[in-house]
Amino acid sequence: MSRKGFDLFDLIKKVLFTDFVKGLTVTLGYNISKSITMRYPDEEKWIPYRRFRGLHTLNRDENGRELCVACELCSKACPTGCITVIPEENDSGRGIADRVAKVWTVNLVRCLFCGYCEDACPTRALRLGREYELACADYSCTLMSRDQLLVPQPVPESIPGGYVVKSKLERTPQGIKVTVDLSKFKKRSI
Amino acid sequence: MVTVKINGKEITVEDNTLILDAARDAGYEIPTFCYQADLMGIGSCRMCLVEIEGQKKLQPSCVTPVLHGMSINTDSGTVQTARAGVLEFLLANHAMDCPVCDKGGECELQDMVHKHGPHKGRHAEPKFKFHDKDYVLSPVIIKNSNRCVQCMKCVRVCREVVGQNVLGALGRGDHQEPTSFFRAFMNCEMDGNCIEVCPVGCFMRLPYRYKSRPWDLKSSDTICPYCATGCRMVIEERAGTLMRAKAQLGVGLNSETLCARGRFGQDFVNNPERINQPLVRRYGKLEPVTWEEAISHIKENLTALDGDKIGGIASPRLTNEELYLFQKLMREVLGSPNIDSSSRFSPDAVEGFVAATGMGEGGVSVYDCMEADTVLIIGTHLSDENPVIDYIVRRISASRRMNVIIASPRAMKLDSSANIVLRHNVASENAVLTSLVIGLNEGKLADTLKGMHEAQLDANLKASGVSADLISTVVNRLAASSSIAIIAGTDFLRYPEGISGLGLLKDLLKSRGKKVTVMPVLDRANQRGAWEMGVHPGFGPGYSETRKGLGTEGMLDAAMKGELEALYVVGSDVASMYPGDDFARTALSKVGFLIVQDMFMTETARQAHVVLPGAAHAEKDGTYTNQEGRAQVIKKLLTAPGRAKQDINIIRAIGESFDRSFGPKHFALVLDEIRKEVPSYADVSLSFNNKRNTDNKLDNRGALVKAAAAPAVKVKSFNPASVETSGARFILTTGNHLFHSGRSSMKSETLLGLLKGAVVEISEEDAASLGLKSGEKVRVKGANFEAQMTLLTKKGTKSGVAFIAENFDDAPVNRYFRRGGGIPRVDIIKTI
Repeated sequence: MSRKGFDLFDLIKKVLFTDFVKGLTVTLGYNISKSITMRYPDEEKWIPYRRFRGLHTLNRDENGRELCVACELCSKACPTGCITVIPEENDSGRGIADRVAKVWTVNLVRCLFCGYCEDACPTRALRLGREYELACADYSCTLMSRDQLLVPQPVPESIPGGYVVKSKLERTPQGIKVTVDLSKFKKRSI
Repeated sequence: MVTVKINGKEITVEDNTLILDAARDAGYEIPTFCYQADLMGIGSCRMCLVEIEGQKKLQPSCVTPVLHGMSINTDSGTVQTARAGVLEFLLANHAMDCPVCDKGGECELQDMVHKHGPHKGRHAEPKFKFHDKDYVLSPVIIKNSNRCVQCMKCVRVCREVVGQNVLGALGRGDHQEPTSFFRAFMNCEMDGNCIEVCPVGCFMRLPYRYKSRPWDLKSSDTICPYCATGCRMVIEERAGTLMRAKAQLGVGLNSETLCARGRFGQDFVNNPERINQPLVRRYGKLEPVTWEEAISHIKENLTALDGDKIGGIASPRLTNEELYLFQKLMREVLGSPNIDSSSRFSPDAVEGFVAATGMGEGGVSVYDCMEADTVLIIGTHLSDENPVIDYIVRRISASRRMNVIIASPRAMKLDSSANIVLRHNVASENAVLTSLVIGLNEGKLADTLKGMHEAQLDANLKASGVSADLISTVVNRLAASSSIAIIAGTDFLRYPEGISGLGLLKDLLKSRGKKVTVMPVLDRANQRGAWEMGVHPGFGPGYSETRKGLGTEGMLDAAMKGELEALYVVGSDVASMYPGDDFARTALSKVGFLIVQDMFMTETARQAHVVLPGAAHAEKDGTYTNQEGRAQVIKKLLTAPGRAKQDINIIRAIGESFDRSFGPKHFALVLDEIRKEVPSYADVSLSFNNKRNTDNKLDNRGALVKAAAAPAVKVKSFNPASVETSGARFILTTGNHLFHSGRSSMKSETLLGLLKGAVVEISEEDAASLGLKSGEKVRVKGANFEAQMTLLTKKGTKSGVAFIAENFDDAPVNRYFRRGGGIPRVDIIKTI
């Protein structure tokens, strides 16, 4: 570009800091707009949609009987072979049939959360739930057993998900825990 | 021969061939539920419907024979619609609880529906249910009739093959339910053949209930380790636990059948009592040591010994390779001729039996025996000792109608298939056979000899207790037949007098130009292999000439005198099987150095100086030679528990501690050496063994061993067995129980569940005259031992005969016998 003498318009722009203000409006705009940073886990936590594939959960029917009949189809369908099922006979009413799981474990280190196991389950006993806080400092949490998975997950099926809720991080001698208040939620676009 | 067209392809088949067989031979698949070769065709499942040109309706191919010029279509649209329709009707009332059902994953109905079926049902009404909960039919069978497809294979196999007749059909149409008499608890043979043939999950194994899925199981094709029938079976494991054993249709000489021991008795492998580390006696106590310590301890103690003062006893349940190495160790390394494979039979009797049954002449197929015009079964309680041979005889005699003659003091299930039953006295096989020989000679002798013969005949008839009429009928049948099969059992080894009669009858029939086949019937899986590998004091491998040594009896005698300095016992429980009170125990305690190699802490092992943990059949590779002389392969499935090792490796380790170049490193290389050393095994190969053989059906002739080069065995004559002269009422006989074989079956939980305590079996008439009933507790009192057991009565058993199986620890039958004494007599007294 060739210089053609004095440009008044340019001078006025320089005196009024127009470019500077233009640039600053973006910055200041973000400064006053709503934050997209999720203050997880101290203040809020994302509750995923129902379709989310998180930690496995074993369900019970309305009478409290285990839905799992230990048919081993989940372990057959598993591409990584991380599910172990050993059935046993028990007609005390623990399960919906007299065949129940003696052992049902999933190796979370190997699991790739593909969801084939829940597709294979003929009784809908096995679902991939919405629990995703699976990190731990030792190997204790890598194997999840039947007893741990039968405990209902904190997010019930009735909640559709797709929003954040209020949460609080607690440090206890047993470890850290995130407690949520499911009643107060807000939609957030990410 | 007729020519038919199947799917446009012209084929020529024999007359009366079923359309199904013809189509399958031509390579077309027709699905079936109720069809099974060897069972009566009933055409009930309608899966095999085919279209025949010119006939309006579809025809069941499993009961329709081909006619000349027929044009058959096995895969037309109509046929496919019909198949889908049949399956839709089967599924209308089917329980559909596949996730729970044990058969899920290997169910024929699942496969058929997947392949042919409608994938949508139109049946909207509630399903008909026979019952809500599965019910138990026997200690090994649990039943769910809601899954039944009414193929009736279970009922037919029970009647036609097993001959037990405890299953039948209740109801009609789709409400027909194959079950026991009004669903009551069955008292059957517990062989589970109904489970094996069931295409769906209607009959299920109770011990395997809800344990696993078929895809979890690792399997190996092997041979049953119990009796010497040599049944092919598949054993399956999950996570190191042996889960089940099953037979395969059309494979092995047994096809889909097995007995209770074979099907349910394999779990002794899982027994937690297995020894899992080598033990050495220090300061009077057996203490765990490492293998190196144990082997060097053995070497130290055996090195300076004279070979003649060492003995070796090996179990006839080891493989051929192990037995071969064992005798090589004893004869070549330790220089000892004292080696035996049995604690029950005397070496002389064995030699005579081997010669009389012609084991040196090569293998004899059981199906060759069934081709004969007359089958004579003598010296064995076939139905209990070798149930699968019993099934084969029953099945073939029903269709071929050959003469079946059974000679036995005890009634057996097979009697119903026999034309003539000779109830002879205990230990009088010789008298029976001699009277047959005399009868066959009648009319061919000069008048001067006749009188003498008659006197002899009378004496023999009296000794055997069989009527002259029966003998003459048998003689007539034998004389009229051109081929005769003799099935000779272990009673000849218990009462060896009969061996000379057996040899005589065989030679006489042969001299008359008849085709005679003799098949020995033995009760330990590799008994014949043990003899052929030369684990016998009288002959070497392949019945070759060798330096004579002492048998078990001789060794124990020597031990009693303090002349036996070391004894190596592999897998044999001498102390609890040898007749006589405490003789064997005392003799073993006088042995300077006793090495016991076993799976379990037996009576013998408790007295040992060194205990070496061995492996079960499921934990090793090798070959077994069955009673027919079929060399078959067993395959490794599991690893021996703890530090236990395969027996072949232990024997080799001991051998190598003396001689670095002792034995080949692998069982196949040992087999190579056997092939070179034993000419009759020259053609035995691992490749044809355990192969699915469809061309010659069940009879794998290639596995039969060839004739030995120069068998150094001859028929001997033996003194007649004496019976004790006490005034007791019953003569005691022994053998194996239907649910047990030797002592290893006593370690199987399932078999113990079938029968735990000892039983004594007598005839119904005897029981009635004593005022006793079946199932009562009685005391059996002999001259030197008495024990309490349960009484069982059997219709048709010879009066005055009591049978106690040799398997039970709580009533050791060997204690009734006195060493050197005759056959014991016992009294049966009601327990108050």
